[in-house]
Amino acid sequence: MERKETLSLLCVLVCVWTQATYTQGSTKVPEDFTPEPIVLPHFTSCRSREQETFRCWWSTGSLANLSEPGALAVFFHQNNLMPIGWQECPDYTATVENECYFNKSFTHIWTSYCVQLRATSQNITYDEYCFTVENIVHPDPPVGLNWTLLNVSRSGINFDILVRWAPPPSADVQTGWMSLKYEVHYRVRNASHWDKLEQESGSQQSIYGLQTDKEYEVRIRCKMSAFDNFGDFSESVFVQVAPIPTKVSVFPMALLLVFGVVGMLFLLVLIIFSQQQRLMVILLPPVPAPKIKGIDPELLKKGKMDQLNSLLSSQHMYNHDTYREDPWVEFIQLDLDDACEKNENSDTQRLLGLTRPGLKGDDDSGRASCYDPDFLPDTEGLLAAHSEMEERHPLVSESSPSTPSPELAETPFFPVQSQPVSQSWINMDFYAQVSDVTPAGAVVLSPGQQNDTPSKNPVDKTKKEEEEAGKEEEHEKKMKLQLLVVDPDRGYSHEVIARQVESSGAPFCSAPEIAYHTLPPEPAEEPHGWHGEYLAPDGEAQMAYFLPEAPPASMLPPVSDYTVVQEVDDQRSLLLNPSARQSPACPPNPIKHLPSMPAVPVGYLTPELLENLSP
Amino acid sequence: MLEMSKTVSWLTLLCVSVTVRGAPAPICPHGHPGCQAISLADLFDRVIQHSSRMHGLSSDLHSEFEQYFIPNKIQIGTRRCHTSNIVTPNGKENATKLAEEELTEVILKLLMAWGEPLAQFHESMTQHADYNIYSSNKALEMSDMVYELRNGVQKVAEKMQLLGIISNLLNGQDFLEGLDAVDSSEIFSVDYPNLLHCFRRDSDKIQSYLKILKCRILPENGC
Repeated sequence: MERKETLSLLCVLVCVWTQATYTQGSTKVPEDFTPEPIVLPHFTSCRSREQETFRCWWSTGSLANLSEPGALAVFFHQNNLMPIGWQECPDYTATVENECYFNKSFTHIWTSYCVQLRATSQNITYDEYCFTVENIVHPDPPVGLNWTLLNVSRSGINFDILVRWAPPPSADVQTGWMSLKYEVHYRVRNASHWDKLEQESGSQQSIYGLQTDKEYEVRIRCKMSAFDNFGDFSESVFVQVAPIPTKVSVFPMALLLVFGVVGMLFLLVLIIFSQQQRLMVILLPPVPAPKIKGIDPELLKKGKMDQLNSLLSSQHMYNHDTYREDPWVEFIQLDLDDACEKNENSDTQRLLGLTRPGLKGDDDSGRASCYDPDFLPDTEGLLAAHSEMEERHPLVSESSPSTPSPELAETPFFPVQSQPVSQSWINMDFYAQVSDVTPAGAVVLSPGQQNDTPSKNPVDKTKKEEEEAGKEEEHEKKMKLQLLVVDPDRGYSHEVIARQVESSGAPFCSAPEIAYHTLPPEPAEEPHGWHGEYLAPDGEAQMAYFLPEAPPASMLPPVSDYTVVQEVDDQRSLLLNPSARQSPACPPNPIKHLPSMPAVPVGYLTPELLENLSP
Repeated sequence: MLEMSKTVSWLTLLCVSVTVRGAPAPICPHGHPGCQAISLADLFDRVIQHSSRMHGLSSDLHSEFEQYFIPNKIQIGTRRCHTSNIVTPNGKENATKLAEEELTEVILKLLMAWGEPLAQFHESMTQHADYNIYSSNKALEMSDMVYELRNGVQKVAEKMQLLGIISNLLNGQDFLEGLDAVDSSEIFSVDYPNLLHCFRRDSDKIQSYLKILKCRILPENGC
């Protein structure tokens, strides 16, 4: 197969080559023999101008013998109902060479014609051409082309003109025999490209967007509607408009611009000056003062207690979790390493805060403790340590064991138990209740919360032990109201978590030995460290109370709530809930009612406030 | 199916012809007094516009088809149309010499003759996958226009009769039926290029005749 293909290819190549050589050879024929392409006589065109007559033209070609006049004849044939046959040209135009003219009588529209060019002497037909008359109509060019200026643009650069014309006179437009469409061309003079406008059937058209500095040439031609044969172009018309000098001067524009800029600047300056302060704030925002979230610091300083109370109660300030991480809680360090008996008393006393000249209330800690000064020396009666409270307790902390006295002394405040109050913020646990102080110096916090953090040192262990025991107790007796009266003369401000607390009643003073009630009876004996009080976060757990009598842990009354200072008696002891004093066992103390403070709001009890409270 | 389409097209064309009149004036049935009638001049203008549009469409279609079927010279000379037997004036003089009634008749005859073939042409066009949609739409429009124009010219004729311009033509219905009879005997060419060529020619005739008729009946400047 491949062989055959190659063979055929070779043959083709050979043939081509031979032909090429042959042609080459043929071209090498001497010059006298110059073959010219022979042109036979043929029709050049047949045209009708007005669809009523038509003409045909032909060319004699290159044959010399046929160029004589009369050598050729034109015959035509009409394809209509009357088959006449071939007829010779009715009129050979005398003035024009090689033209045959068919007048109206011979012109039948919508009839197909065939014309033949024949030699007169021989029976040879050189050319034949068939057509219908309506298809060979080339209208005459329109006449009367003129233009008028429509307008000149403001800038004087462009102008528009309206071009008018009249239909060719030969075309019978009035009767509607011929319906014409016109096409206008225009160009910049001597340019190569003509611009065309859309064909119109009217007798005028506008040309837009011409430029004043150029000269234009306009011409027009027409054709029959629905046919494709354009006639010749009309004579060109030249259009030129002199550019109008612009009267608009630059001066007003510049002035306007200057005015505009000045106005803007003025406005800007005005704005800046009027809104100076705002701008300053925006640009250089003031450093925000520290404040409690959601609480106006002004209110804290000057607000009323009830407002503050409501505010703080609505806040979740005493959030259990946040307070857990609060570092300042743990400022009290239990000096566990120094744990020795010799510090026992001092520790105890410190814890109890009885003989603390240097006792200062911690500003941040809230203390509501109640203890009986008789029971102070009893270390065992101290509160069970509550590990949780320890963390929360501002006074009891193990992070710095090396800080003895004042802080430690400040620890034993016994939060006053209170009935669980529905207020939500009571759920705080940031105050730990020191329930006991072990001889080793460990502070036992009262158990109050179930979720205790793991203890960090042996103190915690003991605390936990106590705590567990205390929890049992606590569950039994929840409502214990205890008060730790703190000498307000110490002059420290302490947090007062004052709240309306309702003591449980009988058990409140049921353990008189434990004496969780107000401390006042022998204030002179031991100037207590302070008067502080707590309000238990809630009724759940807080049980921190001071047992001066060293009651067994099981007997620890389950103080779990902090209560609000309701009254301050004449001995400057703070009474938490005067209404709960129903049992006669309670030491009757002349109580001075706090001046219209049913609910002491949570907050710092400033010295001024304390003065109000004190008798 | 053809008859169905015919009736449907009749109905649509009736509606269309009513809307084509366009004017808010109601159509007066047979010269009912009191209603606002359209003048004869307006009728003529509308009809002439229609015929021009029809001729334009036929010309477009013819040139489109000529791309596919280029006729040689011989074919041009020997073309036969199915309307060739209708005697039509072949020139302006002939047309002007003809009486108005006859001219109207010729117009109507032509219109009648082309109704059916164009409908069939359009149908066959849609069946062919080769023809594009634009040509098909043009063919449909053309076909519809023939019917429309026929109705229009009939209205014109009636109006002319009413106005006494022309003598009574043959009674409208019989006249049309007579034309129909003439039609059905003709076997029109299925050769589409030829058909289009023929229709192009005939639509030109119709347009020219209408113009001449108008010029004669309503002589204006230059007519």
